[in-house]
Amino acid sequence: MMTFRKLFLVGFVLLLTIVAGCGDKTSADGGQVFTAGSAKNTDSKINVRLLKLLVEDRTDHEVDIVEDLPASPQIFAGFERDEFDFASLFSGEVYNNYFDDVEYSTDPDKTLKQAQKFFGEEYDIKWYDPLGYVNNYSIAAKRKFLQKNDVNTLVELGEYADSLTLGTDNAWIERDNDGYKGFKKTYGYEFDDARGMDVALMYEGIDNGELDVVTVYTVDPQLKEYDLKVLEDTKNFFPPYEASLVAANDVINEYDEIGDVFSHLLMWLAQKK
Amino acid sequence: MTLFQEYITYWSEDYSSILSYMYEHMIIAFTVIALSVLFTVPLAVFMTKVKNEPVKTVIFNIANVFQTIPTIALLAIVIPLLGIGFVPAVVALFLYSLLPLLRNTYAGMNSVDPEIIEAAKGMGFGTFQRLFKVELPVALPYVMSGIRVTSVYIISWTTLAALIGAGGLGDLVLAGIGYNDTFMIFTGTFLAIIIAVLLDIVLGKIEKVFAYS
Repeated sequence: MMTFRKLFLVGFVLLLTIVAGCGDKTSADGGQVFTAGSAKNTDSKINVRLLKLLVEDRTDHEVDIVEDLPASPQIFAGFERDEFDFASLFSGEVYNNYFDDVEYSTDPDKTLKQAQKFFGEEYDIKWYDPLGYVNNYSIAAKRKFLQKNDVNTLVELGEYADSLTLGTDNAWIERDNDGYKGFKKTYGYEFDDARGMDVALMYEGIDNGELDVVTVYTVDPQLKEYDLKVLEDTKNFFPPYEASLVAANDVINEYDEIGDVFSHLLMWLAQKK
Repeated sequence: MTLFQEYITYWSEDYSSILSYMYEHMIIAFTVIALSVLFTVPLAVFMTKVKNEPVKTVIFNIANVFQTIPTIALLAIVIPLLGIGFVPAVVALFLYSLLPLLRNTYAGMNSVDPEIIEAAKGMGFGTFQRLFKVELPVALPYVMSGIRVTSVYIISWTTLAALIGAGGLGDLVLAGIGYNDTFMIFTGTFLAIIIAVLLDIVLGKIEKVFAYS
């Protein structure tokens, strides 16, 4: 009985030590350890890794990455609770039901300004200028099918829509402006069937012929893997999702060198464009 | 108070789609529950009659394995075989329901006092008479508790069907996560709880009816 109690005590003390160790961390070089959040998509992961490498190369600080978060609301929640210092986000997310008085627009500059203003004020973050590419949401289908029927735009797809099954992520069907409801209004047609599902499984679905069209992120590498082609959005329905890096204001204000890293990274990318 | 009013507005605007998600959810969950009760309970009863131990071990291990596969992995595995939508969702959830039902029914049947069975034999009961008049009624609390536990699990797991395009309340939850809408997440969760609680009450009533017959 005594030994059991001892064992329990030892375990308890160990647990306390571990929990106590989880407080503020210092990097190997004596700087801070910051945390960057990233969603599931590859381009977001690459962006925060770029940032991590550059911060660790140029400063004494380190960056921990938390990736594969389900979606942007979880990243913003992290900023709110001071768990994240950096993230890679997209301008179009400003229309994701965060703000009541945001004015819907598909103009890239306007969307970016709104994202910088609304998110910046609400979450006390600095929303940097775009990295130079967009990861829009759009609709794609098998290249073979499109070539056979000579379809290139979403308008032309309408002719076949009533025999097509759409696979989409669960949120798109319920979204207001840029979701399925808006799509039906703008393009004036709907698909025979629309099913919400996990994004990763969508690609499998279209690969084995269960689905005919899928909503995709336009820079998803799986478009190449599964030989899909994004249809042209001639009616400018999908809002622009320009990729930007984001940092908590208190980090930028307190550590000038972090701000320098950001401007350096943006300048470097601007030259590569 | 305003939050409450907003929530009422949300319901009044979206009730038809909310109810259709709920309908899909119930269809999937109830199909799975019906199938698994019809399949597993007789299987477990049969297993208590089989003297061959290795066969039982194999069946239990198979059920164990299905229970161990992470749900999302199982759903991904059934896609190439069965496609997307209703059928693969039902199949995957059915495989999950095997173990709790099997274990409970088996334990229930084994809990029947052998002396009662001997007494029934002595009174001239045939095998099926014994099964339906003596063994099953005595084992009923076990069997029913298995069915009730499994039903609650299945209703909660059915939310995952939304990941493979089968719809259901999981659609609302996932849409809420992606679109930053707490009302959707809450409504999906809340309705799943309601379905589970109501079904449990109904099953409790059924149990009472049969227990006294």
